[in-house]
Amino acid sequence: MLSFFRYTLRETGTNLWRNRLMTIAAILTVTVSLFLVGAALMLKQSASQASSHWQQGTRVTIWMKPTASQAEVSAVDSQLRTLPFVKSCTFYTQQQDYEEARKLLPQSEFSVLQPSDMPSSFRCTPTAPNNVFVVETSFTGQPGVLTVTAPEQQVRQMEKVIRIAQWVFVGLAGILLISATVLILNTIRMAIFARRREVAVMKLVGATNWFIRIPFISEGFFQGLIGSGLAVGFLAVFQTWYPLPVLFRLSTTAFIGSASVVAILGVSIGSIGSALAIRRFLDV
Amino acid sequence: MIRFEDVSKTYPNGTVALKNLSVEISKGDFVFLVGSSGSGKTSFLRLVLREELPDSGAIHVSGKDVLKMPKWRVPYLRRNIGCVFQDFRLLPNKTVFENVAFALEVIGRPTETIKNQVTQVLDVVGLADKADNLPSELSGGEQQRVAVARAFVNRPILLLADEPTGNLDPANSEIIMQLLERINKAGTTVVMATHDKGLVDRMRKRVIEMVDGELVRDESRGLYDTEVSTGF
Repeated sequence: MLSFFRYTLRETGTNLWRNRLMTIAAILTVTVSLFLVGAALMLKQSASQASSHWQQGTRVTIWMKPTASQAEVSAVDSQLRTLPFVKSCTFYTQQQDYEEARKLLPQSEFSVLQPSDMPSSFRCTPTAPNNVFVVETSFTGQPGVLTVTAPEQQVRQMEKVIRIAQWVFVGLAGILLISATVLILNTIRMAIFARRREVAVMKLVGATNWFIRIPFISEGFFQGLIGSGLAVGFLAVFQTWYPLPVLFRLSTTAFIGSASVVAILGVSIGSIGSALAIRRFLDV
Repeated sequence: MIRFEDVSKTYPNGTVALKNLSVEISKGDFVFLVGSSGSGKTSFLRLVLREELPDSGAIHVSGKDVLKMPKWRVPYLRRNIGCVFQDFRLLPNKTVFENVAFALEVIGRPTETIKNQVTQVLDVVGLADKADNLPSELSGGEQQRVAVARAFVNRPILLLADEPTGNLDPANSEIIMQLLERINKAGTTVVMATHDKGLVDRMRKRVIEMVDGELVRDESRGLYDTEVSTGF
């Protein structure tokens, strides 16, 4: 059993090395396609994570200038109370917004902030989602008002963009996955051709069919494994170094989830590619 | 050892390989299979190995019904059968030792056993000193001896040889012949397809002659050609 294991590893290594150009092509295609799959998965995860973070019910936020006077703040406050299409509002002081920013911003950006730099804000729920725009237009440019944002609207917009990006990624990844499978199939086919004498002798002296097949299957398996390993590596680098807002940053657990999907997909296409090649080209 | 009962085989292109062939070869026999090219000798050997299946009839090899044998059993049948061919069929990138060892390696024998058996069989064929050479560094006769060693290393009960001396000069043919006879004396049944008239006539073993897929002669101490009665 152990000698069979050693034999399989040795034969797999020889095959991979002998066919190294094709092997590299196959592995890189697997890597790129799986990187896209992984990126799509992570995009989806972080988008849903981000949108669940936004406070429920808050549909529009009026940010006051950090320098706004008490009178300007009260003016906005009383105006909001009289508006029929605003259901309710909560006032966040500069200190409260400062605390919130601590949670949302990367440490490097946050450290330069002081509570006095922060705007205070009114978080309001309009009676109907569309009234967001009325609030936006009526308060923008008013004295003391920095800006009016409708985070959920933005998130929705962003989600839409992300969804489109996801489908593009998935589509590209699908095409690339197919070509990766075909490339793996072709390397195995070449390996089978290069070893046809050995295979003939093996059949002659009574090697079992699985004994003959397994080195070829494991060759495809390893191509898929190496490809997905590289893809996971690149995703990890991306995840660590790309300055995503904290809200979008995935936890390690979530990342491992995406990474395992990528790894499973990689070894599956490797095994499927070689299995197809064996069915088609290895006469055992 | 081998029993063919009324076996017929026609290839998809219409070539008739065997026609109602019935023959029995007993354990320990040494049999020459003679006949012109295309007479069905190779088809006979391929059927014994179950590389092909007949259209009709029954084939038993070492007591087993080859036709009823499930596909996964076939490798185990072949472990009991050694094969030698005209073109040697050695692996060019493996040494003599590795070529012979390969036959044991791929049926999962432990490394220690392989080492012992290969050393022993290379001694038998007189190539112990060439163990580390590549086949390309050997003469044709030596290469065929490696092939015989590979066929015999697992001590098969049956050895099939398809024109093993076809590419060799008379001196080397003689060496191969002696090896096969020695293997036969050790208890292995040997079936050898050949065109070598000189060898067959000198050995006076059982001769089975085939013409167009039919058995036309089966003599226990035969010659290559039919002994024509001349009337004297």
